[in-house]
Amino acid sequence: MKWFWVSTLAPMLVGLGIGLFLNFSSSYNPILYVRADLGTVFALFGSFLTFLSAIFIAFWVTNEKNRRSRLDMIISTSEDRRRFLQRLDHELKNPLTAILAGLANLKDDLSGENQATVTSVEDQAKRLSRLVADLRKLSDLETRALELSTVNLSELLEEVYNSVADLPEAAQRKMSLSLPRAPWPLAEISADRDLLLLAIHNLLANAIKFSRPGDTIELRAFEEDQNVIIEVADTGPGIPESEAPHVWEELYRGMEARGFPGSGLGLALVKAIVNRHNGQVNLRSRPGKGTVFTMKLSHVTTGKIK
Amino acid sequence: MDTKQKILLVDDEPAITDNLAPFLERSGFVVMTALNGIEALQRIAREKPDLLVMDVLMPKMDGREALRQLRRSGNWIPILLLTQVGESSERAMALEEGADDYLNKPFDPHELVARIRAILRRAKPGQPPISMAWKLLSGSLSLDRRARRIYLSDVELFLTPKALLLLEYLMTHPDELVTRDRLLDVVWGWDYPVGTRAVDTRIAELRRALKDDPANPSFIETVPGQGYRFIGDLEVAQ
Repeated sequence: MKWFWVSTLAPMLVGLGIGLFLNFSSSYNPILYVRADLGTVFALFGSFLTFLSAIFIAFWVTNEKNRRSRLDMIISTSEDRRRFLQRLDHELKNPLTAILAGLANLKDDLSGENQATVTSVEDQAKRLSRLVADLRKLSDLETRALELSTVNLSELLEEVYNSVADLPEAAQRKMSLSLPRAPWPLAEISADRDLLLLAIHNLLANAIKFSRPGDTIELRAFEEDQNVIIEVADTGPGIPESEAPHVWEELYRGMEARGFPGSGLGLALVKAIVNRHNGQVNLRSRPGKGTVFTMKLSHVTTGKIK
Repeated sequence: MDTKQKILLVDDEPAITDNLAPFLERSGFVVMTALNGIEALQRIAREKPDLLVMDVLMPKMDGREALRQLRRSGNWIPILLLTQVGESSERAMALEEGADDYLNKPFDPHELVARIRAILRRAKPGQPPISMAWKLLSGSLSLDRRARRIYLSDVELFLTPKALLLLEYLMTHPDELVTRDRLLDVVWGWDYPVGTRAVDTRIAELRRALKDDPANPSFIETVPGQGYRFIGDLEVAQ
């Protein structure tokens, strides 16, 4: 409650004060008789209601205005952010092209030790190139048209799982895939198959990257009401509570994640893809125990996909 | 007579021309540079280079406009565009407007050289590039690029847009080994995890549609461990 609400009590307090004063002190406290015909009573009563509704509408309008401006702000910030990413990508391209060409040139001239230095600089330039490519991917994802088809989720999850299980790091972890088979398999959903594969792949690859040999990683999916829930769970180090809300942000890296390779855009991509499908992403984590990333997708097409 | 092939490198950023030109020279080409489209057109008229490597975004006259003017005047000099845009449809447009190939910035300079060599091998002097043809025929297969339709023995096939993009790229680069990475770039414009699998899936889809036997192909040949090659005889219908 804001302090100015207290000021609305002022007229009442003044009235009470005068009333008490007249009642107890006094000499002059006449009895007033008010008489009015029914027409006048109705007219007065109507005016009183108008007065009340005016107050009510005044509040409602202010509220709505605030809500709109907040919404506008959110929309324009996300537009700004996308434009910013595009410009950043654009401004980095030319210098990177020049650097890569210069290094390729230089490498042929040098011998031994110097060549090793140039190679390591070149590796960093390539890393920057990948970052630029990922930034472009992100802004492209938010705008490109989805290529929708009917997707058999069980098949898709098996494909992602098998592709990741081939990685050498996966062999050192206890990997499992759990899909409902009875009484019926997962529903088919309408989605951009390649993008969905990319999102699930990113979650699974992340789980492998941030866990240790011997950890358990599970990819599972089930139906809940009108939704399909896809979960990637791991027994890795977990994400501190203070970092959890930020992991979906572009270029965010948790304290523990700094030593790992990557662009810091993987989860932002996942979120962008799931949002485009009108779905939701979420995570639950206990430091020291592990993390569950959740992707919620509607299998009933409600409304239009963005 | 100089046997080295002449390349005109056009980019408004001196940092790029300064670094790229010596690299191309080292790779065995003679290199000239220009800063914008107008300058490029003048140098082409004067010095007749064998190939043009041109940036798209430039002041005065951009690469796309220079490309259009050249093609309109019937100049079929091979052109490789250095594109800035990620959107795959925009890149396909670069080909339709008459570029022989394109490369997204930033790129590996070795990739540029490989691409230049492939274009020079493919280009027939004085003839429009295959990438400009609206209709491509190969045996019973016909691809109408303007309408984005494909027919096998006069029966229309229905392919996903990505499979169509792949086929289009393979057909416009006949007899050329196209790596999976390159095909990924064509379809996506950016790297994609398990990408090689994604390409293989699309190629399998294409082969099923084209009734092409992978063991004895008449259209798309697998080059084990490397990529794919379009091996059908190609006819161009303008």
